This record gives sequence, C-alpha cells and structure tokens, in this order.
Amino acid sequence: MTAVVLESVSKVFNAGRPDEVTALTGVDLTVEQGEFVTLIGPSGCGKSTLLRLVGDLIQPSTGTVTVAGKPAHTARADQEYGIAFQQAGLFEWRTVQRNVELPLELRGTSKRERRERAREMLDLVGLGEFASHYPAQLSGGMQQRVAIARALAVHPPLLLMDEPFGALDEMTRERLQDELLRICASTGTSTIFVTHSIPEAVYLSDRVVVMSARPGRITEVVPVDLGPRGEATRQSPGFFTGITKVRRALRGDAVPAGATS
Amino acid sequence: MNRRGRLVLGALGAVVVGVLLWEGYKAVGPADGLSLAGARVLPRTDDAAMPHIATILSRFADPELSGGDPIWLVVLQACLFTLRSVALGFVLGGLVGLLLAVLMQRLRIVERGLLPYVILSQTVPLIALAPVIAGWGGRLSIGSYPWQPWMSVTVIAMYLAFFPVAVGMLRGLQSPAPIAEELMRSYAAGWWQTLVKLRLPASTPYLFPALRLAAAAAVVGAVVGEISTGTRGGVGRLVIEYSREATTDPAKVFTAMIGAAALGLAVAAVIGFSEFLLRRRRVRA
Repeated sequence: MTAVVLESVSKVFNAGRPDEVTALTGVDLTVEQGEFVTLIGPSGCGKSTLLRLVGDLIQPSTGTVTVAGKPAHTARADQEYGIAFQQAGLFEWRTVQRNVELPLELRGTSKRERRERAREMLDLVGLGEFASHYPAQLSGGMQQRVAIARALAVHPPLLLMDEPFGALDEMTRERLQDELLRICASTGTSTIFVTHSIPEAVYLSDRVVVMSARPGRITEVVPVDLGPRGEATRQSPGFFTGITKVRRALRGDAVPAGATS
Repeated sequence: MNRRGRLVLGALGAVVVGVLLWEGYKAVGPADGLSLAGARVLPRTDDAAMPHIATILSRFADPELSGGDPIWLVVLQACLFTLRSVALGFVLGGLVGLLLAVLMQRLRIVERGLLPYVILSQTVPLIALAPVIAGWGGRLSIGSYPWQPWMSVTVIAMYLAFFPVAVGMLRGLQSPAPIAEELMRSYAAGWWQTLVKLRLPASTPYLFPALRLAAAAAVVGAVVGEISTGTRGGVGRLVIEYSREATTDPAKVFTAMIGAAALGLAVAAVIGFSEFLLRRRRVRA
C-alpha cells in the first residue's frame, strides 16, 4: 500500500480576493510505504503548504489527498501520522514524559500503556533520563528530539516533518539526521521531510522533490541511491553527485536569472 | 530564605517610610494647609485632619462608644461581614469572567459582539449602579429566603470582579502559538480537549494577574457597594458612620479605613499564596 497519494492538487489562499495567492498548482506525488521523501525549494514554493495538505491541517482547493489509503481527513481523525515542526512546540507546563504522552492521552490510551510507550520513545531518541524534566530545562536540540519522540509516540505509519532541524547547530543537526534515519528504518515509517538544506535533503532521502515558487509546483524529482547512510556517506562521491543534481534542479527553475538570493 | 528576608524587610521599610512621611508632613506642614487661588493644594495638618499615628493605633484599643466593644473588634467583625461579599463576589465574578472568556474565544462573533459591552459595563459609575442593583434585589427572593442587602453588595463586587478575569483570560486562552493549535488539530483533538489540554494550562500566566486585579476590584466593589446601598454591618458602613464623628473623634474614621485596607491586603495575600502553591508544584522537577 502506498503511504501518500496526491492527485492534481492545488491550493489557493484567499480565493476571489485581491490578495489571492496560488500556493500550489498541479501537484502529483506518491510516497511509498517506508519511503523517505524530502521537499526542497525556495521560500514560498509551497513546501509547508504541501505538508499541511497531507496532514489535513488545510484542505486542497482542487484534487485529492489520500493518506494510508483513506481521505486525508479520515487519516487525521485516525491519527495515521505524526508531525513535527521547526519549533519543538512542547507544552512548557508538562514534563518531557507528559509531553510525549499527549497524543496518546488524546487517543484514550490507558495510563500504564502511555507511560510505557513514552518511555520507549524517549529511550529511542536518547532522552530516557530526562523524562521528568521540564522543556525549559532542555537545550534546543533536546527539545527537538522530544518533539520527534512525541510525533512517533502513536507509532504512526507516516511522519511529517517541517524543517525540524532548521534551528539547530550543524553538529546536533547531523546527529539528529542519523538518529531519524535509524528510527525510520527500525520502525518502517514513511516520511515527508521539508528542508532548505540541499545536503540534508540528499543525505536523508530516497527521493528529493524539487519545487519552485510562484506558483508553487513540483519541477523535478531526484532519486538518491546511497545505500545505508553513515559517516562515510557524507564524504562519498555519490553524495556530492546527488547534491549537484539537486542544486542544478533548483537553479534550473530559479525564476529569471539573477533572482537567486 | 535570603530572598524572603529581603521581602519582609522591604515590607517593613515601606510601612516605616509611610509613617515617617505622615508624621514628618504633620510636623512641618502648615496647620491650615496651603491654598493657591482658593484651591487647597496641601491638606491641613491639625489633629482633626491628620491625627498622630499613635493616636489612631491607640484608638483601636478603646471602646467604640463608651462602654461598648473595643474598636478593633468592631472593625474586625465588620471586615469579616464584608469579606463574605468580597469572597462570594470574587468567586462568582471569576466564574462569570472565565465563562465569558471561553465563550468569546470559542466564537469570534461573540467576541466582537460582547467585548464592547464588557468594557462598557465598567464605565457605568458604580455609585449610579449600586442603588439600581439594590432596588432590583429588593424585589427578589431565593426560594423562600428573602433577598438580603449583603447579596446586593455581593452582586456589585461580582460586577467589578468579572471584568479583569474576562479580559485577562481571553488573552490567555488566545495565547497558544499557532503551531500548538495545529498540533492539537493533527491529533484530531476536539474543542473541549484543546481547551482543557492546551488553552487553560497555557493561560495560567494570565490568570493570576487577572485574579489579583479581580480581588482588589471585589474589595473596592464591596466597600463602595455597602456605602452606596447603605448596607449595615460591613466596613464600608463603618467608614461612613465614623466619618460623621470626624470632628469630635478624628482618629476613629482612620481605624475603619485601615480595616478596609487590611481586608484588601488579606484577600491579595490569599491569591498570592495560591499562586505560590501552583508555581511550586509546576517547577518541582
């Protein structure tokens, strides 16, 4: 079964008003089960909009979004996906443990199971011993890991990530990339990942979806085949070839020459 | 402990400064005050206008009238009588404020329609409103229990107390970041769940300042309410009664005023303490 199918999806904000914006147009995209797909493109190309459409946080103007074989709305109601944003967005009045438990609580999971699952997820992101801390007591990188643990807590078949490592320093970022790949591989989770960083996109993905702005659309899909990732991958020729390909794809559509900022 | 020590020292210092200012001005100020172009800009300092602090304090120990209870007891009883209206008015006003805030947060249209009236409600002069409320109350009864004057006072206290809570809580309920709301949406959380798990906890930083304002407003409302409805038994009534004796017994009215101030401080202390308890529970990690 495919994880996500978008068919001729478009999204227009403020339709019929002077400030009408076509955020996305003619988007067709399929994400296979267990696949890691990255969305990359300049600001305003609709990457985040696309992610929010999949999560049914906004509705498409035309076209259909199917998640786990169901309409996006049903999929959201069934909590078929976990989501993480650029800011960790933890609830400061809850401990780390209770933050991770939140999606389970809303699902009506029993207290004992909640506690076990949160423990398991915190161990997975290496924060088991910080369970009773409050978010304010953690560093930005640790908070982001808690947010990822929270997104994974319901064991969702699909993970949506909107620049989750954008605000982190390079070292933390690379470590979290490896952790994320390990987690996705061990749980078989499909992932849609939004980023601004070309190396990050190439390193993480099975496929890099390159988008361009005004109107937002998919211009190219670059497959990446680097095998299992590791420290050596970041130095390998294949990695740099991938980066070059994505960069070319991005530049090829950078609306009029000179508009690169 | 050090912090607490400094706090106690600061509070004592403030009292000492207040006493020094009072007595200092009384010592050096002109006995007849200072009038410029017919308008008095400085108060008179004779014993009738500004009794010595010591006189006021010793007045607490003397009987109210010859042979009656000592003043401190009378004032204390009056304060406790007023406290009933303050406490009830505060609690009910807080609940009404909370309810209005939730309603306004839930429905944009209610916010637009209701908020101007909520603000308008506070611009109506209390002095004009109090007799109206007392008049309406006089025609009501709760079951077979007839409406009591102190209930009118409670309604007035409530009328003032609901406002800061409604406005403060509305801001608090609207305070979660859009990302937190999206997160709740991604969990398919309904309105009630979002309210309980996100909006209410997120609004506590707004709640306590609002409650402190509401407590102060409830005290003012109760005291002024007692004065303007002529309700017997409370500290507001004492202020009026004692001020009539100001020419013969100038220290007396100050005892009632100090009592009213102490009532306000006591209520503020209760709010402060409950905030302290909640904060401590949260920070404990």
